[in-house]
Amino acid sequence: MKKLTKKKKHDLLMGYIFVSPWLIGFIAFIIFPLVTSLYLSFTRYDILTSPRWIGFQNWIRMFTQDPRFWSATKATFKYVLFEVPLRLIFAFIVALIFSMKESKILNLYRAIYYIPSLIGGSVAIAVVWRQIWGYDGIINAFLSIFGIHGINWLGDTRTAIWTLILLAVWQFGSPMLIFLAALKQVPTELYEAATIDGASFWKRLTSITLPMITPVILFNLINQMIHGFMAFTQSYIITQGGPLDSTLFYAVYMYRKAFNDFEMGYASALAWFMLALVGLFTIIIFKTSNRWVYYEAEEGV
Amino acid sequence: MRRNFRLLMILLVLVCFLLAISPAQQQVTLRIIWWGSQDRHNRTLKVIDLFQKKYPNIKIVAEYTGWSEYYTKLTTMAAGGNLPDIMQQDHAYLRGWVEKGFLLPLDDLVAQGVINLKDVAKSIVDSGKLKGKLYAINLGNNSQAFAIDPEIFRKAGVPLPPTLWTWEDFKRIARIIHRKLGIYGAAENLGDHNVFRVWTIENGGYLFSDDGKSLGYEDDNVYANFYRMLLELQDEGVIPSRDVEIARGSVSPEQRFICLGKSAMQFTWSNQLTAMSKALKGKQLRLYMLPTLKGKVGNFLKPSMFFAINAKTKYPKEAATFIDFFINDIEAAKILMAERGVPISKRVQLALKPLLSPVEKEIFNFISIVEKYGAPTPAPDPERWQEIYNNVYTPLYDQIMYKKITPEEAAKKFREQVIQILKR
Repeated sequence: MKKLTKKKKHDLLMGYIFVSPWLIGFIAFIIFPLVTSLYLSFTRYDILTSPRWIGFQNWIRMFTQDPRFWSATKATFKYVLFEVPLRLIFAFIVALIFSMKESKILNLYRAIYYIPSLIGGSVAIAVVWRQIWGYDGIINAFLSIFGIHGINWLGDTRTAIWTLILLAVWQFGSPMLIFLAALKQVPTELYEAATIDGASFWKRLTSITLPMITPVILFNLINQMIHGFMAFTQSYIITQGGPLDSTLFYAVYMYRKAFNDFEMGYASALAWFMLALVGLFTIIIFKTSNRWVYYEAEEGV
Repeated sequence: MRRNFRLLMILLVLVCFLLAISPAQQQVTLRIIWWGSQDRHNRTLKVIDLFQKKYPNIKIVAEYTGWSEYYTKLTTMAAGGNLPDIMQQDHAYLRGWVEKGFLLPLDDLVAQGVINLKDVAKSIVDSGKLKGKLYAINLGNNSQAFAIDPEIFRKAGVPLPPTLWTWEDFKRIARIIHRKLGIYGAAENLGDHNVFRVWTIENGGYLFSDDGKSLGYEDDNVYANFYRMLLELQDEGVIPSRDVEIARGSVSPEQRFICLGKSAMQFTWSNQLTAMSKALKGKQLRLYMLPTLKGKVGNFLKPSMFFAINAKTKYPKEAATFIDFFINDIEAAKILMAERGVPISKRVQLALKPLLSPVEKEIFNFISIVEKYGAPTPAPDPERWQEIYNNVYTPLYDQIMYKKITPEEAAKKFREQVIQILKR
C-alpha cells in the first residue's frame, strides 16, 4: 500500500464529510434495518418482549406448517405473471401510437395517459375501484342492461384477482414514458431503408423497432416485476386478501403477520424469502437476457 | 464581605420567588388514548374538558383512532417506551398486556378510595382482574344480541318471539320471513366468532378452556353442527351467501342489511344499536338474546372496554382520579350515556334512567335481561386469539361457506391448528 500524502488524506476526509449525510442515512435507514431483520428472522419477537433466538423454526414453519404462506405466494405469482406482461404490452402499444406522430394535442394526451400512474397507487383509487366492481357497483349495473345479473366480481375466487390485475394494467404510465423515449431513439434511417426495400409495418415493427428497444424492454421488465412482487394497496383495500385468500398478496400477508399478529420474527423471515425470490428472478432474467437483448454498441463496425 | 452579603440577599430573594411560584406550576400532564367512532371521540373529548375544569392542575392530552389500527399503534408505542398514562384496553388483549407488565395494578388505588367502586357489582369489577389483581376498570357492559325489526315481523305476520327463544324458533321465523317477503331472514356474518362462542356455551363448554391453553369443548360436532346450520340457511337463501358478504367487505353498523330494510334480524353487540338506529331514522329495533339450545342460555355480559393505567406512569394518582371521574361523575355520564355500553355504577344508571332515549332504554332493559338469565362471563382469551381469529377461524369459516371443505373436516382442522398455535 502506498502511503497517502497529507493533502490526499485531507481530500479524502473532506470527501467523506461531504457525502456523510447520505452515508449516515444509508447506514441508519437501510443497512441497519436490513441486518436487524435478518437477525429477527431467526427469533420470536412480538415487539413487546425482547426477541428470543429460535434458530430455523420460523423458516421451517413457513414451508411446512403455514398453508396461508403458500396461498400468498401463489396469489402473488399469478398476479405478477399476468400483470407484468399485460401492462408492458399495453404501455408499448400506447407508446407506439404516440411515437408515430408529433403534434401538440398528442403531448396533452401523453400527460393525460400518465395520470392513472400518478394516482393509481393511492387508497382513494382503490376505494373507488371497490365501488365500481362491487356487488351493487357500476359494472353490474351496466351489465344488467343486457340482462346479465349479479356477477360477484370481488366475492368469486375466479374473478377477484382479475379486477386487481386490470387496475394495475390501467396504470401503464411510467413504462409507457420509458418506451416512448426509447422509440424516439431508434434511428429513422433504418426505417427509411426498410420502407424502400418494401417492408410492411409489421415487418418493420418486428425486425427494427422491437430489437432496437430490447434493452429498454429488459429494464421495464425487471422494474415492473419487482413492483409486481411488492404490490400491496390494491389487495389490502379492495379485496382485503379475500375471497379464500385468492388475492392475498405476499406483502399484505407479511404486513398482517407483523402488525396484526405481532410476529415480527416470522414476518422478517417472510420478507427475506421474498427478497431471495425477487433476487432469483432478476438473476434469471439477466442470464437469459444476452439471448434476446440487442446492444448496438457491441456489434462494432 | 459586603459584596457577599448582597449576593446572599439576591439569592435569598430568588429562592423565595421560586418557592412562591412553584406550587402554581405543579401542572400535571396526562396522556390518554382510546379507539372508537367519531361519536365516541366527541363525547370523550367533552368529558375531558369537563374534567379539566374541575381539576385545573391536571391537563389531559388525548389521542384517538379507529379500532382497526389501534393495537398496532399502541404496541408500537409500548415498544418505544412511549405509552400514554391511561389506555383503553380490550378484553381480548388484556391478558397479554398484563403478562408483559405494562399495566399498573389498581388494588391500592381502589383501597385508598381514589377509584370508587362501591356502586359496582363484584362480577363487573372482577372482569378486570387477572391472577387475583385488578388491572383494568370496566367502562360499560355489552352483550351479544339479535337486533330485530318489529315492522318486518308484522308485515310477515310473525309474532315477536319470547325472551327465551330457541334456534328452532329462529330458523322457523327466518324462513317464513324469507318466503313471504323475499328478503333475508337474518343477515350478515352469522358465523361471527361471537355467535359461535355463545353456541359453545349452550353446548356446555366454551370456545377456550379456562386456562386458555386448549379448546373449551370436547366434541367436534359442536363446531360442525353450527356450520351445518349456517350452510343449510345459506343454501335456502335465508341468510346472504358468504361471497356476497365478502364482496361487501367489513361494513359499519349503519350499512348492515337490516338498516337497508333487506333483513329482519341481525347479530350485533348491544351498544351498536345506537348507531344502527341512527341509520334507520327513528324506526325502533328490538334487542333479543341469542336463541337458546335445549333450554341453555349462552349470552353473557361482556365488558365492552376498559381503562387501564400505564405501569410506568409518573402520576398514578392523577390518572386514577380521571378514571374515577369517568365512571362515577353524573355530569360526565350524561355526556357519555351508554355509548361505551351500560355504565357500571348502579348510582349512575339510576341517575341516567329518566334521561334515556327509547333506543338507550332498549339497551338498558336488554342488559338487565342478560344480567338475569345470562351465563357467567368467561375468562379473557388466550394471548394468541387474534392470530387464531385471523389465520384459522375466519379462513375456515369462509372455506366452509364456499364449500371447499365440509364442516366435519373444518372442525378437525380447527382443533389441530388452534392447538398448534396455542402450544407455540
